[in-house]
Amino acid sequence: MRRAGGSVCLFLFFFLWQNAALAATTGEMATYSEKAVDREQDDASFWKRFKVSGWLEGIHSMRIRAPHDPVTSRLRLRLELAADMGWLYGFASADAEKNWEIDSETGVEPHELWLEHVDTRWDIRVGRQIIIWGKADGVQVTDNISPPDYTESMTRDLDEIRQPVEAAKLRLLGEVVNLELIWIPVFRKAKLPEKDNPWAVSSQPPPGVRMYSDDAREPSPSLENSEAAVKLSGYFSGMDVAASAFYTWDDMPARRRAVSRASGVPEVRLRPEHHRMTIYGLEFSRPWSDFVFRGEAAYFVGRYRETTALDRNPPPKDSLKWLLGVDWTPGDDWTISAQILNEKIFGYQRCLGAEENDSLATVNISKKLFNQMLTVSNMLYYDLNDGEFFNRGKVEYEIANGFFASAGVDIFSGKNGQFGMYENNSQIWFKLKYSF
Amino acid sequence: MKNTVSGLLALLLFCAAAGASDAAAPTSGQTSELSGREIMTRVYNRDEGDDRRSTITMTLTNKQGRQRIRAMESYSKNYGQDRKGIMIFLDPADVKGTMYLSWEYESPGREDDKWLYMPAMRKDRRISGASRNEYFMGSDFTYDDIGRRHPEKDKQRLLKEEKVRGLDCWKIECVPVDRSESYTLRTAWVSKEYLLVIKAEYFDKDGLLKTFEATDIHTQNGFSAIYVCEMANAATGHKTEMRIGSMRYNTGLNDSLFTVATLQRGRIQ
Repeated sequence: MRRAGGSVCLFLFFFLWQNAALAATTGEMATYSEKAVDREQDDASFWKRFKVSGWLEGIHSMRIRAPHDPVTSRLRLRLELAADMGWLYGFASADAEKNWEIDSETGVEPHELWLEHVDTRWDIRVGRQIIIWGKADGVQVTDNISPPDYTESMTRDLDEIRQPVEAAKLRLLGEVVNLELIWIPVFRKAKLPEKDNPWAVSSQPPPGVRMYSDDAREPSPSLENSEAAVKLSGYFSGMDVAASAFYTWDDMPARRRAVSRASGVPEVRLRPEHHRMTIYGLEFSRPWSDFVFRGEAAYFVGRYRETTALDRNPPPKDSLKWLLGVDWTPGDDWTISAQILNEKIFGYQRCLGAEENDSLATVNISKKLFNQMLTVSNMLYYDLNDGEFFNRGKVEYEIANGFFASAGVDIFSGKNGQFGMYENNSQIWFKLKYSF
Repeated sequence: MKNTVSGLLALLLFCAAAGASDAAAPTSGQTSELSGREIMTRVYNRDEGDDRRSTITMTLTNKQGRQRIRAMESYSKNYGQDRKGIMIFLDPADVKGTMYLSWEYESPGREDDKWLYMPAMRKDRRISGASRNEYFMGSDFTYDDIGRRHPEKDKQRLLKEEKVRGLDCWKIECVPVDRSESYTLRTAWVSKEYLLVIKAEYFDKDGLLKTFEATDIHTQNGFSAIYVCEMANAATGHKTEMRIGSMRYNTGLNDSLFTVATLQRGRIQ
């Protein structure tokens, strides 16, 4: 687990906060007119401006195949602190985790830490924050601002698969059209499973070849290495649309090769590098009767693609990724969602590791029972190219207010593709979560 | 989650919808001149102020006596005949910060616009008009129960006049025009004084399904509202008490409150 040096930020956060709070309580700053009814009566009390919340979660799993050992076993505490000073709002959260299967995840780390000011026609949020775009469920198309955390592959809850980024986000707000401008001065890469992590992917060199890999070279924090994004969103009667552009670094490194035969044995040195790219995106969402149709498309300009050949460096290729989905709520507490996702690489070369056309389908079915105390759901990811799949069946029961027990089974099936490589990690699991 | 929140704005209107009580209510002398349709039209058109804000707490109790709590804050504003509303969940903690935005249109052929914000996912999404026969938040109220039901959706018949909790009421039989609706019959008792449905019985093809009763009705700042009510399911023994903690009218809510931008913040500023 990363242990970012957040102490300086925390100190700064609370120093600013103390001053803002004092000013607010002494009437130097105007109070906002839109306060909740009860909250207005509480404003006199300084400490009531602070809210503490969070959750405690324990999950334990057992591998379905022999030796039936645990694949996932962890206890995580999330603490969140929010402070509302009227003209300024602050939020901080941190995780403490004990992980019995992935040692590197054990520890304490800050999560989000940001300040926000809201005006009638604009708002700004500065600090470490999670930014999520797009209309897709469980897959990413235009959602590329906050890099993914694949420490436990796709088996974590969706909200745990995003990493926060250090960013400033300014929004200009119209009645139905908003313009969003994002500046990210500090690069953050995707987090992948490594070393003894049961989700780590090992790549063995061909027989008779020595292979070395350097650490990934990451862009240093500087103005010229910044990432920037702009998004124009419209929320109209019967239709949401958005267009975006994101000038970024690829969160996933592409590995350059250096081949030598100096010692008589072929040696390949891999040098992972992050590359610049631009992503143009479009989104829409359209309700009709009990259905909502939604879609996204992202055009990636110059994304470096891994090759399967040891002596071929990753070439930059343009690609188009799109998704169409539908949500159906037929009633009686049923929810059914289906999506189809495709990615096409232009100027395709046979040496590329990815397929020229890659297609995936997802289906999610959920039913609530007993006055919504029990939820039964199933989410399927199906690779249309090679028939591999990942299926999560889940039962969740509300024991008390905010206290849930759930159990499920994760099935990975296939050969060596994105799902098949985890076939041995198919697991049954049990989880307790208490929110406060 | 989408199914647990749709219609909550309508819930507010159901439980706390105000009438310009005495001014709008007809006198007993007018009773014989009013038909069931006219009475329900008056209920539908009663004055609710230009905007409203409130806190709502629901207590869900099952047959064994186990209780669950749901709490929320609600804001709504009229735009001519149309209405915009935003709601944020306060309790329980697992749904705290979930927000629901609706733009509701009077025109029968125009679909409402609805969005949901889920704090865990930090994203908003469009949702469809929720199914009318679906129960929200695990309560005994369906969206159909809590919605602002247009009189044209039912065929009404005034049965008689009765007293309920000491209040003079019209007893009206309402049969849905659309036979596919979950209820075959609803009997409503409308208070003459408040122009509010203060008691109702819901029937399906098997008989009595649920009963609704208001237990606290009073007038505040010129607007009358139901402050406590209960829906009990005759079949399951489950019941839901709904309590309006505070209710304020015409406070001058800003238009910017009822936008997706507010929703995406995950909090009411």
